[in-house]
Amino acid sequence: MKQKKSQRPVWLKTAVGLILGIIGFCIPLFVTFTGLSFAGHITLGIFLMAAVFWMMEPIPIYSTSMLVIFLQVAFLSSQSPLFSEAELPGTEIQMVSEEIWSVPASAIGSGDQVFLRIGPRSSEAVEVEIVQAQNDTVLIRGNFEEGAMIVSDAGHRLTGYTPVGFSVFFGTLASPIIILFLGGFMLAGAAVKYNLDKNLTSVLLKPFGTKPMFIVLGLMLVTAVLSAFMSNTATTAMMMTVAIPIAAQVAKEDGFRIMLALSIPIAANIGGMATPIGTPPNAIVISALNAQGINIAFGTWMILALPLVAVLILAAWGIMRVFFPPKIEKFKLDLTSKFQTSPKALMLYFFFGLTVVLWVTEAQHGVPSSMVAFLPIAGLTVTSIMEKEDIRALPWEVLWLVAGGIALGISMENTGLAVWIVSSISWDVMPQIVLLLVFGLVALFMSNFLSNTVTATLLIPLAVSMGTSGIAGDGFNLIISALLIGMACNMAMLLPISTPPNAIAMSTGFIKTGDMIKVGLVIGFVGIGIALILSLFYWPLLV
Amino acid sequence: MSKIYILVVEDEPEVLDVVVRDLSSLEETFPIEMAVSVKEAREIIAEIEENGDKLGLAVCDHVMPGEMGVELMIDMQKQPFTERTRKVLLTGQAGLDATVEAVNHARLNRYIAKPWDPEELVKIAIDELTTYVIEHEKNLLPYLGILDAERLNEVIRSRGTVSDH
Repeated sequence: MKQKKSQRPVWLKTAVGLILGIIGFCIPLFVTFTGLSFAGHITLGIFLMAAVFWMMEPIPIYSTSMLVIFLQVAFLSSQSPLFSEAELPGTEIQMVSEEIWSVPASAIGSGDQVFLRIGPRSSEAVEVEIVQAQNDTVLIRGNFEEGAMIVSDAGHRLTGYTPVGFSVFFGTLASPIIILFLGGFMLAGAAVKYNLDKNLTSVLLKPFGTKPMFIVLGLMLVTAVLSAFMSNTATTAMMMTVAIPIAAQVAKEDGFRIMLALSIPIAANIGGMATPIGTPPNAIVISALNAQGINIAFGTWMILALPLVAVLILAAWGIMRVFFPPKIEKFKLDLTSKFQTSPKALMLYFFFGLTVVLWVTEAQHGVPSSMVAFLPIAGLTVTSIMEKEDIRALPWEVLWLVAGGIALGISMENTGLAVWIVSSISWDVMPQIVLLLVFGLVALFMSNFLSNTVTATLLIPLAVSMGTSGIAGDGFNLIISALLIGMACNMAMLLPISTPPNAIAMSTGFIKTGDMIKVGLVIGFVGIGIALILSLFYWPLLV
Repeated sequence: MSKIYILVVEDEPEVLDVVVRDLSSLEETFPIEMAVSVKEAREIIAEIEENGDKLGLAVCDHVMPGEMGVELMIDMQKQPFTERTRKVLLTGQAGLDATVEAVNHARLNRYIAKPWDPEELVKIAIDELTTYVIEHEKNLLPYLGILDAERLNEVIRSRGTVSDH
């Protein structure tokens, strides 16, 4: 009897991850960074801890998101012990002569700022020029109104941050984009329950005949279409049940087996880009833009993304044809579709069709897609198409993962952390295209190893703050840069760990890691290239 | 991760070797334990339980010196640790009574008559182990390459245990 293997590496990895995360959380408590508010320090701690936990996964990624929300509520909300009693100390600014004012030395913040006291809990930073520093008072030059109140202690915890209520952080779980996803989950869950996905696949695959290259193209297109509305992972698992019987007819050394198994996860990953609900990183992009008052309609997103999706699918198809030329000439494809015709199934088809039509035509009728999303949520439960057990089986942890990401983004913006991080590099010397290239490559690299959503969560607030703060210079387009990062996160398909669809395809055993890397590399670089071209010539026409 | 074992119980060493050889394609994922008697089988089961591992499949001869195979299977059915183990009777001489008893009291999953077709045996083992992992394992990905990938993918699809992130 063999001895049980030691569990040491597993717990060691967990322990290292936990310890590093906690160290990350503590660094800003002990080190003071110039130009970063008190709340910014706390947010930096949460950011560092979350980044370590998300990267090393000592705890599941969704629980890191929950922890982020908990820490924000505990330390950053206006009801938290740190802020609930706090009030800004104020003093009246004294005029010395024209445009020259006298303020207490303690009122000067790092980076030559004073803070106008707007209320007991809110302030606004004003850049000033220091004329002369005396013992306790400083003479400054600036435009103030006579009798204006400034914050007498620039290092106060409320300067540079107006605490928000804790419900803002909890509320991320009910934000419009989360509800939109919930609507998508309900439709996808019902589609699986009533085998709509399988039957659609059979119908849609029929026109592609029996020639290997066409079958693969068909598989890829159908996978992409389904994964635009369903989870990429569930779509992959379903399509594998179609591909495995085909692969069984193919000789072991025929490259066609590799192509079959590889085409599905690739198409699923790519298809996720096609709609806002296709995959969770899209939610991070949309919510970050929403926070800036920018709304991208469901149909607009599709128009923005479809050229990229179409070209990438064709590119992947062409590359695989070169790498893994099929030898088999034709084979049997047993496709039987048996659409259920029970009243509930028929109602599901109705809700599915109606919701998708209303989503796609959002720009025409103006009803926001997240409002439309409540149609399937209410409709499918009222009609008992989705029952209690089905609702419980929805991927709620994905919603928490995204909600935590949105919540972190809120604090990164309103504590000034995001601006503080990006302002350390002088971006405005780089042309916009180089900036996009850098962001795209970083996103692509990171999401090959991390969760795509986590990558988007870590990068998009930075890109947005570059746009809103003007650090990146003129001509920096917020929407385009957020879009590009979001898309780049979904192009990561180098390794089995890059995405769950890759893991499924790999586990099935028809492909080797090397095959995946070959195709993944080409897709990554071609994808970034196409996205850059679109961001120069196509996206600016639409947003 | 705890391991899932296959247990083969057969009193004739030559036959035992053949069964194990037939199943060797599964051994990398499902380590195979051999027993030449019911007594030894019980010891092995106890040892597997002690190590915190699982017993996924038991392939058992019936006519053996000492206790009979069906007795072992009935016993396994009574123990919580082995209740869900997939049970296959591999025998040439089990009479109708023993077989009926195995089906009724041991919840026998399969009956294979000797002599057997090696391919058929592997197919049955894969099928039974697939059922076992679907019932017992949260993460099905490690088994996609060796067990029935079509059934496992169908479960991943319908259960939604793997989600995008």
